[in-house]
Amino acid sequence: MKSISLYVDKGTLLNRIAPESKIMYIITAITVPALLGNRLAGAGFIVLSVLLLLSGKVLRKTIPLLSVSGFVLLTVLIIQGMFRAGNTVPLFSIGPVIFYREGTSFAMSIVINVINILLSFCVLILTTKPSDMIENFIRRGFSPRFGYVFISVFQIIPQMTETMSTIADAQRSRGMETEGNLWVRIKAFIPLISPVIMSSLINTKERALALEVRGFNSKHKKTFLNDERKTSADPYLQIILLIGILATIGWRVFVWLA
Amino acid sequence: MAGIVIEHLKYRYPGSNKLALDDITFSVNQGEFIGIIGRNESGKSSLCQAIAGLIPNFYKGAYGGKVLIDELEVKKVEVDELCQKVGIIFQNPFNQVTGSKLTVYEEISFGLENMGIPKEEMTQRIDEAMELLDISKYKDRYPFDLSGGQMQRMAIASIIAMKPEVIILDEPTSQLDPQGREEVFQAVQKLSKQGITIIMVEHNMEKIAAYSDRIVLLEDGKLIAIDTPQVIFSREDLIEYGVEAPIYTQISRKLGLKDKRTGCYPVTLKEIKPLLETEGGDR
Repeated sequence: MKSISLYVDKGTLLNRIAPESKIMYIITAITVPALLGNRLAGAGFIVLSVLLLLSGKVLRKTIPLLSVSGFVLLTVLIIQGMFRAGNTVPLFSIGPVIFYREGTSFAMSIVINVINILLSFCVLILTTKPSDMIENFIRRGFSPRFGYVFISVFQIIPQMTETMSTIADAQRSRGMETEGNLWVRIKAFIPLISPVIMSSLINTKERALALEVRGFNSKHKKTFLNDERKTSADPYLQIILLIGILATIGWRVFVWLA
Repeated sequence: MAGIVIEHLKYRYPGSNKLALDDITFSVNQGEFIGIIGRNESGKSSLCQAIAGLIPNFYKGAYGGKVLIDELEVKKVEVDELCQKVGIIFQNPFNQVTGSKLTVYEEISFGLENMGIPKEEMTQRIDEAMELLDISKYKDRYPFDLSGGQMQRMAIASIIAMKPEVIILDEPTSQLDPQGREEVFQAVQKLSKQGITIIMVEHNMEKIAAYSDRIVLLEDGKLIAIDTPQVIFSREDLIEYGVEAPIYTQISRKLGLKDKRTGCYPVTLKEIKPLLETEGGDR
């Protein structure tokens, strides 16, 4: 059984960079194009994210994520390109289907924004161990209890999925139909709920006891086995990103006042 | 090191009319290996949890009497403080994995991190615990990928690293295959040799008879007897308490092979052999 985390340790510089810097990057990648109101800025951050993901050797891992959202974005492009209110100037046509400049342009803005957000989050998610990220937060005062909840979810959900599959196998061996049309599946799902919930509750209670006897509620100041994940470049990186955001805000305020 | 004194311990779970522990009194010497036996619902797990302080600190309910570890009354100490004196291992190794660590090495560090142990001491303790439990080769493995026996040894290592003076094992082998069971027993024997007080609930009578210094027999939350395995398993009324003597004791009983010195039946193969030789020679 594996964790559901998407983290891949490739031993690259991106893996070593502090999670806070990557979170700063996400904030910058989202706020700067939004404040500038410029699609080029969004596209620029997409290129930057792709380069970062390439350097982190995880670009290929983004393909499944982009494929899922790609379908939705294609739908947006088609609907906005064809039917957006205010569509007047035809851009191109495929047979009798006409795509308009205004709608396509609007849809492109959405597509760029979504891909930008997705890729910038990938920079964090694919190159940061969830436990390292939470540990860094705990070092900065985040509650260890909440931290535990966030980290354990990545491993306990697969555990619950496995329990559910074991219970489903047990029910199937007693003749219950679990494969087939939607109605059959819904009928099969109901008898699974009770044992899955009950076993999860029992497991949770046992795990709570096991955590308790390992000092989970200890009032001591927590220490850490692993060193804090950061590089010497992190403070500079964070300052540069912060300056970028502040400069954009300043420029926006200036334009607004002017 | 810790000795345990239990005085008139009574406990009733919330919403229950029946006492789960009914006036239990006995004491355990430091470094002793105590086995606890009895039928289901006889109070074995409740007794373990009371010694570990989970009753009454975690489980509420009606509580009376005292449990003292090194003259420290467990009722008056928080579980997170007590866990450096008493460690407890549960039945299901799977549920003892914290689910927050990605390697066995990190998993063992969980309790130490919570207790604020400095990193240098932490690594030293983890290495020692892994060495003792013979799991060093799994240090980089994902905890959920271990077998049941390996996972249970990891759980024991996690507790050992906290350097408790007493370790309680509540049916630690009940969900393991024979190999896993053997691995756990060998690990526990090593701990016992290190002078750690062991309290173990176990349904495998051959094993518990072989390893225990004394055995506690419980029935309906009451202490029926506490004595050496030979005395306990030689009791004529044992079956009335839902306990079957080890196979070696049963054979000896059939053959009438008693240790003349103690007047008890042997409980292990090692004990039965000289008796067989003597008796065989006599016949």
